Amino acid sequence: MVTVNSKQNPSSERLNIVVLVKPVPDPKEPPKFKPDGTLDRLSMKLVMNPYDKYAVEAALQLREALGGIVIGVSMAPPHAIDALREALAMGVDEFILLSDPRLAGSDTLATSYALSMVVKKLWSKLGKVDLVLCGVESSDSNTAHIGPEVAEWLGLPSVSYVDKILEVSGGYVKVKKLIEGGYMVIRVKMPAVLTIAGTSYTPRIPTLRDVITARRKQITTLNADDVSIDTSKVGLLGSPTRVIKMWAAEIKRRGKIFTDTDIDRLIDNFLAELRKDGVKLK
Amino acid sequence: MIKPDYEFAKRSLVKLLLEVDIVLIYLNTTWLLLLKWNLLIEVFCMPVDFAITKEQEELKAVVREFSEKYIAPRVVEFEEKQMIPPEIIREMARLGLFGVVIPDKYDGLGLDPITAGLVLEEIVRGDPECSLAVTFLVHTSWGYIACKYGSEEFREDVIRKAARGDLWIGIATTEPGAGSDLTGISTIARREGNEYVINGEKAYISGVREAREKGTWFKEGGGHVTLTYTDKSKGHRGMTFFFIPLTHPKITTRLEKEIGRKGWSFGSFTLNDVRIPETYRIGDEGRGFYIAMEGFDHARAYIALTCAVAAKRAIEIAIDYIKQRRAFGQPIAKFQGVQFQLATNWSRLEAAHALAYKALWALKMEQEGKIGRFEVTKIVASAKLFAVETAKMALDDAMRWMGAFGYTEENPVALAWKAVKSYDWAEGSSDIMRLIVARELLGREYIK
Ligand SMILES: Cc1cc2nc3c(=O)[nH]c(=O)nc-3n(C[C@H](O)[C@H](O)[C@H](O)COP(=O)(O)OP(=O)(O)OC[C@H]3O[C@@H](n4cnc5c(N)ncnc54)[C@H](O)[C@@H]3O)c2cc1C
Repeated sequence: MVTVNSKQNPSSERLNIVVLVKPVPDPKEPPKFKPDGTLDRLSMKLVMNPYDKYAVEAALQLREALGGIVIGVSMAPPHAIDALREALAMGVDEFILLSDPRLAGSDTLATSYALSMVVKKLWSKLGKVDLVLCGVESSDSNTAHIGPEVAEWLGLPSVSYVDKILEVSGGYVKVKKLIEGGYMVIRVKMPAVLTIAGTSYTPRIPTLRDVITARRKQITTLNADDVSIDTSKVGLLGSPTRVIKMWAAEIKRRGKIFTDTDIDRLIDNFLAELRKDGVKLK
Repeated sequence: MIKPDYEFAKRSLVKLLLEVDIVLIYLNTTWLLLLKWNLLIEVFCMPVDFAITKEQEELKAVVREFSEKYIAPRVVEFEEKQMIPPEIIREMARLGLFGVVIPDKYDGLGLDPITAGLVLEEIVRGDPECSLAVTFLVHTSWGYIACKYGSEEFREDVIRKAARGDLWIGIATTEPGAGSDLTGISTIARREGNEYVINGEKAYISGVREAREKGTWFKEGGGHVTLTYTDKSKGHRGMTFFFIPLTHPKITTRLEKEIGRKGWSFGSFTLNDVRIPETYRIGDEGRGFYIAMEGFDHARAYIALTCAVAAKRAIEIAIDYIKQRRAFGQPIAKFQGVQFQLATNWSRLEAAHALAYKALWALKMEQEGKIGRFEVTKIVASAKLFAVETAKMALDDAMRWMGAFGYTEENPVALAWKAVKSYDWAEGSSDIMRLIVARELLGREYIK
């Protein structure tokens, strides 16, 4: 559970939290590919990126503990709107969909720029944004770029692979971050961007009533001009990276177990096998 | 200036077009002739549509997630411990699953029987052993009936709790001496002022333990919509329905051991001078038999769906098995004898599945006043009869494909088979379904 220390934080933070959510092709369905090897997103059913559910859950738990508002933000084509209702059903207060044909083909740099512009717009509308949360990565491209890049565009600190938000007090947020083979506890000044790992949060299943109510909620759709995006920085032309080809990696490694009671013979057998495979040994 | 009322004009035109066969319209300089409006509707509107709405899809998705994560991994436990883990029931309550068809006014969701069926389907896919299906479908059908015919005080008091999942509603018509022939019951309700005093015994009743024990599965326990005689001399016209809370101190219960669907209890209860307020009467005195028939139709339609889906799910599990298990140098699935059985059974189950939705559709049409009581009963009886028989055949074959493993207690196909078998009788036997269909086809004079 999140703790709040209101003595250190007399302004009694009601948090304004933005959660970035991406609609992705349903990972439970067999993927469909375009000739260049990229996913054919148009012909697949879209759902909320499973990693983003953890971020939504983290945001909702913060709101429940401290009060405030959670706003979902997504950049996607208009038909993705149904996939975003799940976030509303879970309890997100409001949702903004940034949708514009000029954004099509954006790479992670262009996407993070566009998303940061929506956050800026919300910032000026709400007076402040305390936290921007997102999933560690998306299940359809797995770059894990967006969170840290959004932080760069906004000039904010960021922590990725957050296992758990531990405490919010005095304008700081204390988080437990996953690192290889362990954890790291970090205190970071807000506003900040956090990418949430799927380790400590269990996304809630919305009730049937929440689903029905979410269906009737309005999702605000904005275009590039609404959030003052410089369109030369987005879309295919504004993107410095380009996918040229995608293919499934061939795993050539094969395991072989050598057993022998005599250690010298075992090593000889092993070396002989390596030589047979063309490995040059001294 | 007077503004033309386009809305009114449109409505009037539509009304006119729906009422007459031929319409002549003079438009600019041309006469337009519209013929046989009904024919046009048939040509341009799709009369049958298997698509579901976005909302229904989303509701299904939520229940699917719950079913996959929380139900499916624990089904074997239902059988072993002979109970549904109470936390599963509480989570179902939180999701709103006990108020699906109860009107919004009483804290339900006010959804139609088709949507309730879509949701039930996801529960069954997680639990082909069917204990949860029983829990859901009995409560959904008889909760709906109790709400429809219950008094306003009753709705405010009991139905509201039922919709929130704080109280379970079951059905009690069967007695030690009467099952198919309801007129043979001997439970009597006697009026005393603003109360009724009820004496009798009900047998083979689902959910006796769960309704009796307050706080374990449901905060307030539960009760059964119970059939009695208020005037035996009038035969089926002297029957009356009451809601009897099984937590009543003058009730004693006894449990039976079921063959299948062991997660949900099954037993009898004895009423010994049980006093209940008049407000717990469901419908008027003398209407009990008719209300029972309506309630059975709801339960039977959901049962038809449950049997079709449980069998389909079991077949999917069997498919995984026969692809892996080998005999005579190849997977069992490569024997054409097995393949043809598979295809035949699956096709029959598809038909049973579709007919179950037709039954739910008939209930929805009845609610909208578009189709009569007897027509509904006929469609529903066919659906239950066909689904039970078809599912039993399919599961019997699937168990055989699995060899001796198919005959072990925890085999999911065997669990589904045992559950489906219960519907040879529960909520009306297959023979009674045949009787209903024959009666509706031949006329009452051919049936005793
Ligand atoms: C698992 C399970 C759960 C149940 N849960 C409930 C419950 O919650 N509430 C409840 O009230 N009841 C419940 N029942 C009881 C069920 O409704 C009865 O079993 C059913 O109505 C049949 O009654 P019976 O068992 O007395 O059989 P009987 O009426 O004695 O019938 C015996 C056999 O004769 C056949 N038969 C009877 N009449 C005719 C006829 N006219 N023509 C041809 N054949 C006929 C029947 O089909 C049956 O095969 C449950 C039963 C089971 C197995």
